[in-house]
Amino acid sequence: MRVMPRAPWLPLPALAALLAAALAVTPGPALAQAEGPGCGAPAETMEAAPMPGVFAALAHTELRILVVGSASTQGGGTSSQEATWPERLQAILAARIAPVSVQLKVFGGRGTTAADHAKILAEQGPRVRPHLIIWQLGTVEAARGLPMEEMAEVVQAAIARLRAIRGERTDVVLMDPQFSRFLRSNADVEAYRDWLRVSAAASGAQMFSRWVIMRHWVETERLDLERAPRARRLAVADELHDCLAKALTEFILDGALRGRRHQN
Amino acid sequence: MTPPPGPAARPTRDIRVDFLRGLALWFIFITHTPGNLLAHATLRNVAFCDATEVFVLLAGYAAGIAYGRVLERDGWMAAGARLVGRMGTLYVAHIFLFVVFAAQVGFSAAALNQAAYLDELHLDPFGQEPYRALLEALLLRYQPAFLDILPLYIVVMGLFALALPLIRRPAWLLGLSVALYAVTRASGLTLPSWTGGGWFFNPFAWQLLFAIGVVLGRADPVALVRRFPWNRAVAVLAGLLLLACAVALNMVWHGPWLGLAAPEWLAGAIATVDKAGLHPARLASVLLLGWLVAHLIPRQAAWLNHPLPAAFVNMGQQGLAVFCAGIFLSFLGRLALETESGALAQLLVNALGLAALIAVAVVSAWYGGESKRKPQTGLPPAHGVVS
Repeated sequence: MRVMPRAPWLPLPALAALLAAALAVTPGPALAQAEGPGCGAPAETMEAAPMPGVFAALAHTELRILVVGSASTQGGGTSSQEATWPERLQAILAARIAPVSVQLKVFGGRGTTAADHAKILAEQGPRVRPHLIIWQLGTVEAARGLPMEEMAEVVQAAIARLRAIRGERTDVVLMDPQFSRFLRSNADVEAYRDWLRVSAAASGAQMFSRWVIMRHWVETERLDLERAPRARRLAVADELHDCLAKALTEFILDGALRGRRHQN
Repeated sequence: MTPPPGPAARPTRDIRVDFLRGLALWFIFITHTPGNLLAHATLRNVAFCDATEVFVLLAGYAAGIAYGRVLERDGWMAAGARLVGRMGTLYVAHIFLFVVFAAQVGFSAAALNQAAYLDELHLDPFGQEPYRALLEALLLRYQPAFLDILPLYIVVMGLFALALPLIRRPAWLLGLSVALYAVTRASGLTLPSWTGGGWFFNPFAWQLLFAIGVVLGRADPVALVRRFPWNRAVAVLAGLLLLACAVALNMVWHGPWLGLAAPEWLAGAIATVDKAGLHPARLASVLLLGWLVAHLIPRQAAWLNHPLPAAFVNMGQQGLAVFCAGIFLSFLGRLALETESGALAQLLVNALGLAALIAVAVVSAWYGGESKRKPQTGLPPAHGVVS
């Protein structure tokens, strides 16, 4: 919160000017120090259900994460591959859980759908033996208007297969689309998000709601890539991915902590 | 739709139906304006069914009354021809809305920096192959998000034209309709869509709701009440069931609530309730609601004549004009909420939207939009009970 300078003796026009100046200042880096963890993402979006798989991995030497998703896992407007949220997640999470190391593998790509991801998971699941799967999906389905019931079926079947092989040793987190006014206006995103939540709840997976978090950042004028001036786009995209990785780290650690309480 | 004034043989127009239809049309405007906070207060947040079910059921109800009369007076050919004409009107309206949609997407894309991120948004069929998309839209095989109700309506009207003579034999009509519904659900029969999968609303399944509406519209209200009488115990049970559905849906959608997470089997069950094929739970939900509402709102409820409810009655009577205006306005609402989505913008979009819908209904009723093909002049439908 910014504290307004108190100047009761100032004449009215000066006061108005001061007020205008104060209002014109957009919350920027100065605010960053005061904001909560995960770049100020709403607390409830970073609360996870127990993650026994991650918790078990933390007792050993490495945490294996498999990321599968569409374009944002591979770039999505960032300055480099290193700046994407999966790579940032690896770095940020590794720093938090050292000496345990983080092995993170990314699959998928631009335009891939849940069905493509399910094939990847069927192939790579037994090979990578991940403790945590982060499955980012829904944007391509929503943008193309693909059948949402089929998407939900694919997700549930894929997770059931994984459960059959890996049981409690793998936690699954679904990640919904990035918030975008454009996407919101032109695709029935809410319906796809409803189906993602239902599929997560039906298959014992969790939802990390990137949509809600990014909408919060847009509404609080913290990060708004859609309205960023051309010259700042790369920087804003990098910060966005970094912040998403930070919020996701909080989410995963929360789940792992609950996983411990769960086991004790 | 198109209710020609019949002789007094038929019962007086049930303005509760018009009121509910007006309400459904308003909900459709709201839910077709993404980002509209009022969307959280519509039917679909608390029930398996939403405004689409209500709209289709009541469209059947109105069509049963209107085309039934034409059939009785002028025969199948005349009534069928009129239905085909109606389909043509709906088709033209749909294509017009499609053009508005394309223009709105183009405008939004230019106004927002979506090019910089969300790479996947370029994957929308219109962006990739505009000429092909236009052709597919004309063939009704490409239905962009939120432009899926009119195509359903067109095909259902076509089916109705074929089945028209059966409206004198409601048992046959319902039997055939249920059979088609069952075959559709069992076999996955649907119309193809360009983007993959079937239509967003499978007309072969949704026709059942329309047919039920037709039969209800044709039935004698007194006999209907006798067949489905009020029963307090059943009503309480129905209320509890609907409440349980509302709680279950919200627990699954909105995650752990007061520390209670929805069990997996419950979410699994909800995950089977599809909208495209009008899952039996959705059908049951809308019929149960219909039964409750039909008994809870008296036929001659005085409050329906107060100005605001009367405005909704009027909207319901000018169905097509208000529906199309609603979709058109939702595009404008989208653009407005894209630019600014604060409380004031929300209030303005909703207030102006509703005012415009009411105005469209008033104008349409005034020049006789919904009843312009009337062979003789009827009473203006705005004055409440009209025969």
